[in-house]
Amino acid sequence: MNDQVRIVRFNIFDRVFHVFIMVTFLIQAVTGMGRLLYATSWGKFVVNLFGGYGGATTVHNTVGILMIIGFVIHIAYVLAKVEWKSWRKSLFDADSLVPQRADVVHLGQKVRWFFGMGPPPAFDRWTYWEKFDYWAVFWGLPLLAITGLPLMYPLAASRIMPGWVLNVLVLFHRAEALLAMLYIFIIHFTIGHLRRGMFPMNECMFAGSVELEKEREEKPLWIARLEEEGRLEEAIVPGPPYWYRVMYFIFGYTALIVGLYLLLTIIIYRNYIEWH
Amino acid sequence: MHLRRLLRKAVLQAALGLLGALVLWPPAAPAQEEVTSSIRRYRERELSTGYYEEYEVKPRRVRPFVGAPEVVRRYPSVTPYRPRAAVEPNVRSRMEDSHAGIQFYELRRCEECHVEEAKHSHTTRGNLTCRQCHGGEPIAGINYYYSPLNPIRRHAYVCSKCHEGANISFATYLVHEPKAGDPATRKTFASLYYSNWFMYLLIVGTLAFFGLHTLIWVGKESYHAMREKMKPEPQAKSPPEKPEPEEPENE
Repeated sequence: MNDQVRIVRFNIFDRVFHVFIMVTFLIQAVTGMGRLLYATSWGKFVVNLFGGYGGATTVHNTVGILMIIGFVIHIAYVLAKVEWKSWRKSLFDADSLVPQRADVVHLGQKVRWFFGMGPPPAFDRWTYWEKFDYWAVFWGLPLLAITGLPLMYPLAASRIMPGWVLNVLVLFHRAEALLAMLYIFIIHFTIGHLRRGMFPMNECMFAGSVELEKEREEKPLWIARLEEEGRLEEAIVPGPPYWYRVMYFIFGYTALIVGLYLLLTIIIYRNYIEWH
Repeated sequence: MHLRRLLRKAVLQAALGLLGALVLWPPAAPAQEEVTSSIRRYRERELSTGYYEEYEVKPRRVRPFVGAPEVVRRYPSVTPYRPRAAVEPNVRSRMEDSHAGIQFYELRRCEECHVEEAKHSHTTRGNLTCRQCHGGEPIAGINYYYSPLNPIRRHAYVCSKCHEGANISFATYLVHEPKAGDPATRKTFASLYYSNWFMYLLIVGTLAFFGLHTLIWVGKESYHAMREKMKPEPQAKSPPEKPEPEEPENE
């Protein structure tokens, strides 16, 4: 793959954030599922890997706080990236992840293409499902944090809210976590690994770069825009070194296996999962 | 040579014998006792009596022909005679001995009647027993004035045994919470009921939309790839199968 011309798509910050959310999300998923299914032998086994119920809870809480810190850093990074002098243009241009009218149009075109009623949509830098992936995490993480922090400190929380609110917060926390796991392990994994042309793995989030010729088909408007603005030359980067590819393949497949194992667990123990 | 053949024969016979033993051996059967759950044991009682319920032999008896209000009936009563049916339903929660008058009470376990109440996280995860909160015999109803679980002192007498510093607000957390999907919950705990519906619709909606989206997409791509493969080679004059989006309509 290294003989092809590659252009940069994700910078080092994006990639580090992605790896960070991968690791922390999977730890939260494992420790959360283990405690949710503690009445089953599987739950006991998983929880005992973390030193018992208390140990798993401590890991879950600590990693949760780490995620909150990571999210705050991410917000600071995003705010620093916006050019505030021309904020309207900066927020709503084609390089921005903010949902725009074009995304709705693309979705309509895509659905029409599904049923053979028109050409596939021509995407710019971000497709609508990539934007959804981003914003799903962006709203899921604060929801889990807002519901998780009072559950972490129930005594302090019950001073500023009635204790029965915690019953409702547990429901939100579990349901949102379940939704996040199902979405990532079914839909995100399918799009990232199983799609034709992606198959072993979509490497761009780890390599940071994509093949120019492939992108010309997938996201023609982006490449056209780069050429028009004369930025294509400076976007060309060398491919990832061999050792780095081996590393992220091992890492990515480890995460995939953990995720699919959790998905299997959800399916097997679905009768034991109570989100309230 | 001879020794080797003998040895081989012996090993073969031993293996066959083991295999036969494995097949014919009766399957592992539980001992003549009913092992109850390791979670819901009554630790205090076990310690004080030295009588470990894990190895207790439960009498095989049918449900006695006696009814009591508030008691989940797992089997339909054989006789219609229920002298207590006329008693006001909630009175037991205000009684000093909430189980007064239930026959064979001492032979039964809490979760035989309180099926749903036994499944909550304080028991299944915290390894608490019923009696650690509800107190020993006679178990007072939670609204009995002197009960430790009476809402006026629950936080101080029960919750704070583990949650140091628990206040009245904290004690309003429902340990035996109603099922969020149960229609009756709309009246007893409306916010839980509607939150459940909201999250349910969110999950089903998101997964249905993006699940279908992904499924059709992957199927369509496979279909196109298959058609590409099956297309005969010499087709110079026909236009390309996949329409190229030369003029995007969205901009």
